[in-house]
Amino acid sequence: MEAFLPAYVDALCKEIVQVGGDGLPVHTIYFGGGTPSVLSLNQFQKILTTIQNVFQVLPGAEISAEANPGTVTLESLDGMRRIGINRLSIGMQSANPEELVFLGRIHDVYAIQKSVSQARSAGFDHLSLDLIFGLPGQTIRQWQNTVEYTISLQPEHVSFYGLTIEDETPLGKWLKRGLVEAPDPDAGADMYEWAAERLEKAGFRSYEISNWALLDPIRGWMQCRHNMQYWRLQPYFGLGAGAHGYLDGIRTVNASQIGAYIQKMQAGGPQTTPGSSATVELKAISRWEQAEEMMMMGLRMTHEGVDEGEFIDRFGISLEEAFPRQIQKLIQEGLLEWVPMDGRHLRLTRRGWLLGNRVFMEFVGCPPPALFHNHQGSIPVG
Amino acid sequence: MENIRNFCIIAHIDHGKSTLADRLLQMTGTVSDRDMVAQILDSMDLEREKGVTIKASAVRMLYKAKDGLEYELNLIDTPGHVDFNYEVSRALAACEGALLIVDATQGIEAQTLANLYLALDADLVIVPVINKIDLPSALPDEVAKDLEHLLGVPADSIPRISAKEGTNVEQVLEAIVSQVPPPRGDADLPLSALIFDSHYDSYKGVVAYIRIMDGKIRSNDSLRLMATRSDLKPVEIGIFSPTMRPVDQLLAGDVGYIATGLKTVSECRVGDTITNSQNPIREPLPGYRHPKPMVFAGIYPVEGEDYDDLKEALEKLQLNDASLVYQPETSQALNFGFRCGFLGLFHMEIIQERLEREYDMDVVVTAPSVEYEVVMLTGEILVIDSPVELPDEALIQEVREPWMKLDIITPTEFYGPVMELVTRRRGVYTQQDYPAPNRVQLIFEIPLAEIIVDFFDELKSRTRGYASMDYSFIGYRPSNLVKLEVMVGGEPVDALACIVHKEEAYHKGQRLVTKLKELIPRQLYDVAIQASASGRIISRANVKAMRKDVLAKCYGGDITRKKKLLEKQKRGKRRMKMVGSVEIPQEAFMAVLRLEDE
Repeated sequence: MEAFLPAYVDALCKEIVQVGGDGLPVHTIYFGGGTPSVLSLNQFQKILTTIQNVFQVLPGAEISAEANPGTVTLESLDGMRRIGINRLSIGMQSANPEELVFLGRIHDVYAIQKSVSQARSAGFDHLSLDLIFGLPGQTIRQWQNTVEYTISLQPEHVSFYGLTIEDETPLGKWLKRGLVEAPDPDAGADMYEWAAERLEKAGFRSYEISNWALLDPIRGWMQCRHNMQYWRLQPYFGLGAGAHGYLDGIRTVNASQIGAYIQKMQAGGPQTTPGSSATVELKAISRWEQAEEMMMMGLRMTHEGVDEGEFIDRFGISLEEAFPRQIQKLIQEGLLEWVPMDGRHLRLTRRGWLLGNRVFMEFVGCPPPALFHNHQGSIPVG
Repeated sequence: MENIRNFCIIAHIDHGKSTLADRLLQMTGTVSDRDMVAQILDSMDLEREKGVTIKASAVRMLYKAKDGLEYELNLIDTPGHVDFNYEVSRALAACEGALLIVDATQGIEAQTLANLYLALDADLVIVPVINKIDLPSALPDEVAKDLEHLLGVPADSIPRISAKEGTNVEQVLEAIVSQVPPPRGDADLPLSALIFDSHYDSYKGVVAYIRIMDGKIRSNDSLRLMATRSDLKPVEIGIFSPTMRPVDQLLAGDVGYIATGLKTVSECRVGDTITNSQNPIREPLPGYRHPKPMVFAGIYPVEGEDYDDLKEALEKLQLNDASLVYQPETSQALNFGFRCGFLGLFHMEIIQERLEREYDMDVVVTAPSVEYEVVMLTGEILVIDSPVELPDEALIQEVREPWMKLDIITPTEFYGPVMELVTRRRGVYTQQDYPAPNRVQLIFEIPLAEIIVDFFDELKSRTRGYASMDYSFIGYRPSNLVKLEVMVGGEPVDALACIVHKEEAYHKGQRLVTKLKELIPRQLYDVAIQASASGRIISRANVKAMRKDVLAKCYGGDITRKKKLLEKQKRGKRRMKMVGSVEIPQEAFMAVLRLEDE
């Protein structure tokens, strides 16, 4: 793996130069997927400098990196902070040793605490901790322990994800062979609800189904701006092996194998805007599909929901014109609500948080209403 | 006429009837080896796949026998299943002899006997043949002994063949020539011809398969169908050799066809007599009957918008199948569909499969029902074929249901399990016989309703596939029957109602509720399921509200895949039927079918 790194970083920088160049303003950068903390400081520096050369990185931009406990040191964290990375998302997962073993994590509980304190020493003032719940055999007591421990580490942001078992994964196969017990969905609901209340008590607010932000007296709610970009269905570049981007209503997908990615960038073959030489798939998303996706993604945002003004600006039609039956039915079922005292944002009700799929599915695979014009409009780029 | 032999082949399912027919066609040169499609007589794919014959066919073969003379052999194929007994009886009436095929590995089975008795009723000469001697498990000596015992023919005179490999098949041809008598009949008498089958041809209309008993038909004759009292000018007359070949005339003793130009097979009924309009006979040939459907079920399109396609598919099926009846039906749970009547369970299964396979339809078939006679307090008698139509118990004097004579042949070791199965389903034992060593024939009387669901599968599984069965209608008898009704989420679901014996209502109601609880997925609210009979709640259960159904993660790279997952989930949800505010999956409607023990 490490042997690839120099060539990979070169390829990545080449891709950044290919797609950038117009000095397009960017307000977030995210190093994630896999374990970016394996990069050396010089490599981080090289990538960031390249971005700064071809894009206009706005002042106060959010620059995040994912890091797993045990893969960082005080020195590496110090360096990351120095070159401009200002937000760290730590893949903590659990505070229970046996769960970390079950998840195949190399770190122990001590390493989590150590990474957090080192990050603080290095000057990171925006830390996020990632958790997972609903593991086979996990008890609510174990989960409560993880949540309490997490709060005691005083992060600005917490993500917790219910375990999803897919058929093709090793866990899915174990389940099929009866090697592990299927997680009880009601127990998962109990865990989620308990954690939601506990985090609220600790000063956090849910802003997305699985994401919680602390209220900072000066900086406000410590949400991840980068992820908001996805949920608001706003444009982003996806750079590197297997990355997905979304620009001008076109979704790009890069070669997923590192070797193939490097080879394609080295060869520097033809580049289809907005993709690069490593782009293997370009898919235009029709305006109606965009409207559907804006609902499916936007309604994940538990606090702000979908902004009707924004929707009208983009699609020239109100939410209730676009999805009359769906909205009426879901409000009646108690899963959707117009944000009180505002009325311009549509969002999940508290009860709807855990029943999101019942809501999202109503907005996908629908025929466009007669009112809808499928011509391409202008999309603001952020 | 001396050189004509009209014969059919009768056998239990899978004993090799169609394979032998193929071999006869090949050996007489009627079909060249090159054109030989395996089992040419079964022109429907489904038949080939299921190994049974649904429609009879007739083929003329020319055979030069060892006596040096050339014979015209007319092979009339017969349907191989109990539901088509009437059709079988008409095909038999067109013959003078029958080949009785018995599988050397299986021996005499229920339908071997049932068909044999039909053939004897029709005064046919029986020519027994033992097939599949090539199989290692064949016991031809024992089967020959059993046949000798049954038919009184010397065991060593019975041809032992392998139709598959062609072994000794010429012995069969010789036996037909020497044992089956030539047809009697007088070409100078007024015309009488028996319709023993028909099919629909989009150019020539209904093609009637006929055997001329007396008289003759010329291609320009004016003909009369005696049961429907309609006259017609044939589009064409001819013979099957094996495909349709026009001829100028057909004489007494001949087997052939008349292309009638009629638009539906119901205008040209199997068993009807054709005579000459100018010179008619006075009495039709005996034995004509209008086959009556015995089993009824609702067929609904899964997607409401497919209703017209389903209607069209049923119309097309009916073109070739006069015994299929249907009429529009509305269910509160399943919306618009059709109430269909079938000759029996097997017929129903075939129709369902053909709809799915040939017409690519997704259908829901509701639990089958029989036809009940309801005697009201007023003395009026209602005939109903759906639980929904059963009137309020307080207005009913008596409900009668159809009873059948059920004939089961099984190896003696399964005596106990078979007895147990039948008696648990309200069957009454009447007599037994031992047609062969280690084989017992058990005769019962049983309500038809008890054997239309799952009975045959259950019989097969209890006897490791060895038992065979046959059934025939006895008559209507009063029974203590009640309607078992189901409410889901406070709404009665008509498609889940069934008529059951009062003593079983409690047990079946509980089973049904338990099943439904497993099959109905959790919804946004608690869903109550209740079963009731005679105005009393028998059983209830709750499907607890769903609490969690959400994709935990969805970021930039996931959108396409997550959207697909949601679309898939949505399609699954769409396939369910909304009853009130409750989504009920298709399988739940079939739950009524499987209320027996587990």
